[in-house]
Amino acid sequence: MLFDRRKLLLGGAAGLILPGLARGALAQGAPLSPAQIGTFPDGVSADSVFVGLNMPLTGVFSGDGSDLKLGYELAIAQINAGGAIPAAWGLKGKGVLGRQIRYKVADTEGKPNVAVQAATQFVQRDKAILFQGSVSSAEAIALEELASRDKVLYMVGIAGSNDVTGKNCQRYGFRSQQNAYMAAKALAPVVAKALGKKLKAAFLVPDYTYGQTVYDSFAKFTKEQGWTQVLKETVPLGTADYSSALLNIANSGADVFINICFGSDAVASTKQAEQFGILSSMKLVVPNLSSFQDKEVGPELMQGVYGSCDFWWTIQDRYPLAKTFVETFSEKNKYKPRWGAHIGYMQTYLWALSVERAGGFNPVDVIKVMEASKSQPYESTVGRVYFRAEDHQMVRPIPILKGKAPSAMKGPEDFYEVIDVVDGESVMNPPDLFGCKLGSYT
Amino acid sequence: MRRLDPRSFLPELALLAVLAAAPLLLPPLGFSHDLLSRALNWALFGLGLDILFGLAGLLSFGQAAFYGMGGFVAAYLLVSGTIQSVWLALLVGTAAAGVLGLAVGWLAVRRIGIYFAMITLAFGQMAYFIENSPLSDYTGGENGIAGVPVPVLGFGAYAVRITAGLPMYALLAAAFFLGFVLARRIARSPVGLILKAVKENTGRVAMLGHDVPAYKLAAFTVAALYAGLAGAMLGPFQSYMPPDAFALETSGQLVVQTIVGGVGTLVGPLVGAALWLWLRDNLQLIPGFGPLWKLVLGLAFIGLVMGLRRGICGEILHRWRIRRDAARLSAAQARTEAIEAGAVAVPAVAEDVALPMPRPAIDGRDAEAEIAIEARGLARHYGGLKAVDGVSFLVRRGSIHAVIGPNGAGKSTLFKMLSDEVAPSAGEVLLFGQRLTGAGVTRAAQRGVAKSNQLNQLFLGLTVRENLRVAALARARGRFRLDLLLPGAGRPEVEAQIAAMLRLLDLSERAETPASVLAYGEKRRLEIGMALATSPNVLLLDEPLAGMSPSERVATCALIRRIGRSCTVVLVEHDLDAVFGLAQRITVLSEGRLLADGPSEAVRRDPAVQKAYLGAVQDDAAHAGEAVHEPA
Amino acid sequence: MPSTAALVSQAFNGLALGSLLALVASGLTIILGTLGVLNFAHGALFAVGAYTAFVMMQATHSFVLALLGGCAVMLIIGFAMERLVIRHFYARPDEDQILVTYGIGIVLVEALRAWFGGNSQRVPVPSWGTGATKLGFMVYPTYRLQLIGIVAALLVGLYLVLYRTSVGLVVRAGIENAGMVGILGIDVRRTFLFVFAVGIVAVGLAGMLYAPVVAVTPDMGATFMVQSFVVIVLGGLGSFPGAVIGGLIAGEIISLTSAFDSAYSEVMLYGLMALVLVARPQGLFGTEGRV
Repeated sequence: MLFDRRKLLLGGAAGLILPGLARGALAQGAPLSPAQIGTFPDGVSADSVFVGLNMPLTGVFSGDGSDLKLGYELAIAQINAGGAIPAAWGLKGKGVLGRQIRYKVADTEGKPNVAVQAATQFVQRDKAILFQGSVSSAEAIALEELASRDKVLYMVGIAGSNDVTGKNCQRYGFRSQQNAYMAAKALAPVVAKALGKKLKAAFLVPDYTYGQTVYDSFAKFTKEQGWTQVLKETVPLGTADYSSALLNIANSGADVFINICFGSDAVASTKQAEQFGILSSMKLVVPNLSSFQDKEVGPELMQGVYGSCDFWWTIQDRYPLAKTFVETFSEKNKYKPRWGAHIGYMQTYLWALSVERAGGFNPVDVIKVMEASKSQPYESTVGRVYFRAEDHQMVRPIPILKGKAPSAMKGPEDFYEVIDVVDGESVMNPPDLFGCKLGSYT
Repeated sequence: MRRLDPRSFLPELALLAVLAAAPLLLPPLGFSHDLLSRALNWALFGLGLDILFGLAGLLSFGQAAFYGMGGFVAAYLLVSGTIQSVWLALLVGTAAAGVLGLAVGWLAVRRIGIYFAMITLAFGQMAYFIENSPLSDYTGGENGIAGVPVPVLGFGAYAVRITAGLPMYALLAAAFFLGFVLARRIARSPVGLILKAVKENTGRVAMLGHDVPAYKLAAFTVAALYAGLAGAMLGPFQSYMPPDAFALETSGQLVVQTIVGGVGTLVGPLVGAALWLWLRDNLQLIPGFGPLWKLVLGLAFIGLVMGLRRGICGEILHRWRIRRDAARLSAAQARTEAIEAGAVAVPAVAEDVALPMPRPAIDGRDAEAEIAIEARGLARHYGGLKAVDGVSFLVRRGSIHAVIGPNGAGKSTLFKMLSDEVAPSAGEVLLFGQRLTGAGVTRAAQRGVAKSNQLNQLFLGLTVRENLRVAALARARGRFRLDLLLPGAGRPEVEAQIAAMLRLLDLSERAETPASVLAYGEKRRLEIGMALATSPNVLLLDEPLAGMSPSERVATCALIRRIGRSCTVVLVEHDLDAVFGLAQRITVLSEGRLLADGPSEAVRRDPAVQKAYLGAVQDDAAHAGEAVHEPA
Repeated sequence: MPSTAALVSQAFNGLALGSLLALVASGLTIILGTLGVLNFAHGALFAVGAYTAFVMMQATHSFVLALLGGCAVMLIIGFAMERLVIRHFYARPDEDQILVTYGIGIVLVEALRAWFGGNSQRVPVPSWGTGATKLGFMVYPTYRLQLIGIVAALLVGLYLVLYRTSVGLVVRAGIENAGMVGILGIDVRRTFLFVFAVGIVAVGLAGMLYAPVVAVTPDMGATFMVQSFVVIVLGGLGSFPGAVIGGLIAGEIISLTSAFDSAYSEVMLYGLMALVLVARPQGLFGTEGRV
């Protein structure tokens, strides 16, 4: 290990007002962690622990939410059953430290307020030792806030905004997905290499914080590659008809159309862009490909599209754990796992691993193990990964994808070719760039 | 200080007991402290909607705008460090929501019913877009504002942080309790009564001289203030201010919860919110149910709107009231039947008409004016149809003046122009020499022009006493007054006026009877009585005898004669015998034009009048016997 | 300042956008005008229309057949809604009608989600509408050009039904005075059933025609519903010409604002609504006295 856990705790705890529960533990001298914190140890019984899952099952994000849910459920089922699959991740026996994972799923409707409500129920009613999930940065930010207040570990689901591990980062929150900055920095050189260095770009930007963040990052990194921006069209979130913006883009004379819209906005805008003839006159780049965009838009339109993604199933050729994941998932759910399912699956395993490394469920210990993971990285579905101690952002490889022509597809879901997997270390933002200040452990 | 009946505080005490017991008794049923606190926040938000919809009958689908406004202003001020005190931030947030409410309300109250719902919904969406895009630097856009501090009670060493859990529950319970007490006082204030009347019959409230848009705007603003306070408390409650506070679905959920709980009950929002949140939490946990929870709750909501239209609390309250009032109501109904069967003798009007409340003063040089009302070239055209075409006549002060004419002569339209309900296409009306036209029916009423209608326009859900009170309050309080915290029956001069009116109308025994239960003749008397209860200078009576039995006609004629001794009366009537018996002067209209105008006897002998009437006489004779008259 | 060419293009696009809003809003307005019911399930029915097109396309592989089949389905849904629910609400306050249709909207959207899932479905552009057409000053999607024509034809058809048939006469008379029509001995109930179903078919058709353009998700209708409310407020309650002109105005506002900054297109729309409310509360084509 790079640093001494004990020193870190004492350093972190100095000058803090501690809640009554933790005070007794610290007074004894130098214990590693408070004996009682958050839902620990109440939430740990002899044979089981409870994990709360939050995701939108209704509302505009329900598609991604359902995918996310299936990922969590698969991982939990595998871990509980034990055997070869969890063993390949490094887990021992059945369950986590011999305890089965119980869980409940709550529908957040994609609303942060409801997400907080549901997670609070998990903490208060079920004594959850961990809660996971989100399909928007807003949900993630709201839940991180709650996690730190209630001292219960939270693992972010789908959330791309820099703020999640930036100005809204929290000691009790960890994110496994790349942020907007990483995605942009990984993607820009690859597309510049593939499409050319001196290109004119037109941006379609959904007018909300996430859209603006992705735009800022991607505009910056493509500019470094020699691209010039000829147009930036901002559209309200949830627009159904993009014709007025696309009309301007069609007449902009750009070489590349960079579509930052996400989810059903991406589907609608891409379909309409094709109808305006934009896709035949310009190359399409989608900095963040939404989970089901391929299927929803169709390969005819998605061919030749460049973008980055958390995970694409053909990456299984590179990583054995991914292969097991894709196989077991598609066997059970009859489709190939996407971004959401992968995040849920992977981070549930990472948490279980961290708990086993910590030798207990005490969140403070588990957090410290995760923060120390740089020195002892995890082998995962996307290769070797670790969480940064400074902002809890996972440092991880980022797949860069290119849409396949329908004729080149080897199966109904073979939408993309993985043209590169960019090393995570090289694209990280400086940890303090987005103003992260992790709170206290206790 | 007025005598206080401890029983009138029963709802408050009961609520207090429930709020105190809930966190102890309910958690085993799955109501965690967090869920209860959330329900209270929704309930506080819903109190505003209950005042707006339950009291004033205005259904808003845009309340989220004010919830979000209050919430984000408070959260921004706190997180940016502009304001340190959470309490102050709550206040500023609430006020900001109130200001927004005033602005949106000013536009929205121009329309009612369907339009109102659409407009509020559209403005709600506008607020959402503005929050999300142009103001995202302040609101955090779709990410919201995290890290909102909790309030601190006390100073220095004695400071207590109101943290999540029980302390926060206590704070929200206190806020809801105060909100409830306040809402209940508002509901029982003169403003509350007027709003109830607005819900029953908006047009009549305006005719009595109340500034209806202003009262609606007041209700809208009060609702916005409630929403603002609830929104402002949301941030500190969960240390995070969510952007979905602004979402359309928030407005929708509020409406649904309030309806489910029971609108107009003030506890409905609390019951509805608790139930909705509990069901949504627990339905999801049924294995295999997952996302279907919303479908099921949607179906349940449809069933509720179709079947239990008063909502849970509303239905309970309604049944309880029916049981409580059963005896009284059936007695009232029995009396109604007796009157309608002719078993009750029609009373003679015994007293002289002396109203306790003064009539509006006629200012300066016009105080001695001989002419009460002057119509100058009045005309009203509907497309090509000239309903009234250039009619001029004078009504002498202190006289009884009749307007007659065959069906379709334009009498009702003319009358509506006299009270400025309908704007003339040409010409004007002068009241004591001052131009009345263009002021609108409310100002006309305040200047002392009252009108009773051809078709009864009573507040059917209110008692006889309350009907008269709405009328008398218009004279006592003027067009608009924001006495939200005064008791409705707190003005002695108004109560005296009501008592006098009840005696005059012979409705004293029926004072506490809902107007809907009255016999037809009684309703007609009340219709006239409401106009008179405003202490008018000029009383316009549109077919006061319509549908009355012969004995009731006699009594009503006597009443009108008595009224005529102290007040100028203009009446439209088909019963020519009654007209010639009552009126000193008569104006005759035919096909929208003035046919004759003069003393009663002269008009009676006028050949032109006779000719016009002969043509229509059969028609008219047939008419006089009918209970309901077609518009003339 | 955008170029003249850009403004002209956007003005043209506004026409396309506006015609769709006009169709959605006219469905809303004839129900509102005749039956006095504000249909809060209108957005959900737009989505139902789009999903119907999706299912029918899969079954028939012909867009025209899908439209015809879709109309039949919408007609049945309209009849069912009127018979089972709406009919019981004519005599009840406006607010109750709003509430019950709001509930129906929730149920329809969630039923779509339960059936098809939350991801968007693909409805391809019909083969005769693919590609883009050069219009001299700009390139415009062929299908959208055709849409302007199709929607215009549908609106003309609706106009003919409303203004040139005996049923339409009853409908318009009903708008003026529902009670009077009943007194005249005309069976209002059947007319109401017919009108409701026509309104539902209109919005369903809008959903079907737009399915190849937008993302077909259960929640897709919300935006269109709110915008069609604005159109009605602009045009005037229950006024068919008001809905058409209001729709076109709304389309132009959204589109022309986009020539300057798309982010403000929605805000401008609401701003205009506020302006109309101040200057002419009854709407551009509304009659005074009806509120």
